[in-house]
Amino acid sequence: MVALAAGLLVVAPLVGRWLPAGEADVGPTELLEQTRAAVDEPWSGTVETEGTLQLPDADRFGGVAALFGERTTLRAWWRDPEHWRVDRLLTTGETDIRRNGDTTLEWSFERAEATYSRDPAIRLPRPADLVPPVLAERLLRGVSDADVSPLPTRRLAGESAAGLRVRPPSDLSSIGRVDIWTGQDSHLPLLVEVYATGQATPSFTSSLTDVSTEPPTDDVLAFEPTARTDVSVDDVLDIADAANQYAPVRPPATAAGLDLGPASDGAVGVYGEGTAQLIAIPLRDREADALRTQMAITPGVEQDTERTVVSVGPLGVLLTGGDGDGGWLLAGTLTRDALERAGRDVVAGFVFVDEAR
Amino acid sequence: MIHAELSKLLRNRRTWGTIAIIDALPTLVAVLLAMTDLGPRPGTGPAFLSAVLTDGTLFPLAALAMVLPLFLPIAVALVAGEAVAGEAQQGTLRYLLIRPVGRTRLLVAKLVAVMAFVVVTVLVVAVTSYVVGVLLLGDQTVTVTGPTTSISGSPMSTPELVGRTGLAFAYAMLCMLGVAAVALFLSTVARSPLGAAMGAMTLLVASTLLLTLDAAQALHPYLLTRHWLAFVDLFRDPIRWDEVVRGVLVQGAYVVVFLGAAWASFTTKDITD
Repeated sequence: MVALAAGLLVVAPLVGRWLPAGEADVGPTELLEQTRAAVDEPWSGTVETEGTLQLPDADRFGGVAALFGERTTLRAWWRDPEHWRVDRLLTTGETDIRRNGDTTLEWSFERAEATYSRDPAIRLPRPADLVPPVLAERLLRGVSDADVSPLPTRRLAGESAAGLRVRPPSDLSSIGRVDIWTGQDSHLPLLVEVYATGQATPSFTSSLTDVSTEPPTDDVLAFEPTARTDVSVDDVLDIADAANQYAPVRPPATAAGLDLGPASDGAVGVYGEGTAQLIAIPLRDREADALRTQMAITPGVEQDTERTVVSVGPLGVLLTGGDGDGGWLLAGTLTRDALERAGRDVVAGFVFVDEAR
Repeated sequence: MIHAELSKLLRNRRTWGTIAIIDALPTLVAVLLAMTDLGPRPGTGPAFLSAVLTDGTLFPLAALAMVLPLFLPIAVALVAGEAVAGEAQQGTLRYLLIRPVGRTRLLVAKLVAVMAFVVVTVLVVAVTSYVVGVLLLGDQTVTVTGPTTSISGSPMSTPELVGRTGLAFAYAMLCMLGVAAVALFLSTVARSPLGAAMGAMTLLVASTLLLTLDAAQALHPYLLTRHWLAFVDLFRDPIRWDEVVRGVLVQGAYVVVFLGAAWASFTTKDITD
């Protein structure tokens, strides 16, 4: 009897997963549109992301390395792309980001700090970029019907999800494929898997483990600091935003054949879109040297006097110049050749602000 | 029978010695924090420990996070492991069963005594750490006596804090009931109390180790220690109930299975010691 009880208790949690997934009720074209549109739909739920990308862990980029190299649990409330809250859950507390229109609030429990700032278009990746609806929409930019094919349905987050395989339309992309499953009831992407070229296991996954399509209420999205909270206002969000605002340079109009995107309004260049995208950030000596030191000890690094370059899964990171030179940091989902070419193009083509006028 | 077991537990000097040792760790940490004003770096150290530098009323929760992963379960494993095997080793089990007392009743009495140990230990840790936290910790430059800050940054009134803290300690007790059930079962099958305690501790160490291993992800939902720190989720806003409920279900499953196994083993066992 005890053995039977034990068996039942072990099997009980699996019953939901063993339920068969229903047939897909939409074709690839409609599913592609549905998946793209999900970023504008309200939802709330728990997100698990898992990255195997061991990026160089320099001080000013530490958050990015953790984002793509660790398992992360997020709790998110999404009303629309300008009103949302994403909490990164830790056993020691949590760090939250809330966006309300043009304002971003970052809360750190362990530091007891709440920091208000603008929400610039040019910035480093943050947890909210990796929730499945947002990640899927970003990866599907520039993708057409010809680039997608259907995948078998799966049962995810308690519902049947239709699958879509995306092959990058650009030869410059280092991504081999992206598999996306979208819930047939919620119409939200529930699982996004990103594979590097030639890899059988995903380099990065993001999944919604439970989801509700009820719009989040105002009190969940609002922030009311206590008297013990250290509240401040910051002019810059992160190192990319700082460089974009204050570095006295302008990036070239193209890099590796990719055009400068419309969001590029300052010193930082964003090139390409979707599965073939690149960001170029000018760094001062101090930041560049610290990053170069970290990159030098990353497995697979190649370094000479002109540049330091490393590829981690589908992500390529290249830092131009040598110690004491400052440099341009280029990071993105481009092949090694394309990244090297982009590095040469940026170094050859950037101008100082005075020259640009 | 229950009264006799409780009386034996509370009169035992080793019980109070164990409780004192468990209680000493958070007290020492509070003194060190008060002297140095140095909290752990973000992302490191037990939950709530960085927050107690500005709010000493949260120290009972930091203390719970310190003793729950290791100290408390080891103590529970030792006490529960001794429950039946200890009597057998001393040769007193036969005499206990000569009395007109059913084996089930004796097992229940042993379990109640173990849980009494858990309750007393947790309460001593809670009260001591609250007193130490309020007296030694907290940012004296913060002159306000306003609400405590939840993990999500929202205000938490004193009744809310007390209620959630009570739930957290009750949850910790349930987690320890799971350990007690495992150790009690092993105590009915092992010949020595140390063997039973070591068996339970082996399960704890294995569970903790497997939780760090991605390859063992399929096993994670079933591991004994998987949800122990879910009490932290009670202090988020909104409360993250799903993890707490999962934790309660997993601990409940361990309690049902291992107490059932302990009952099946003890009621059918040939007692020769």
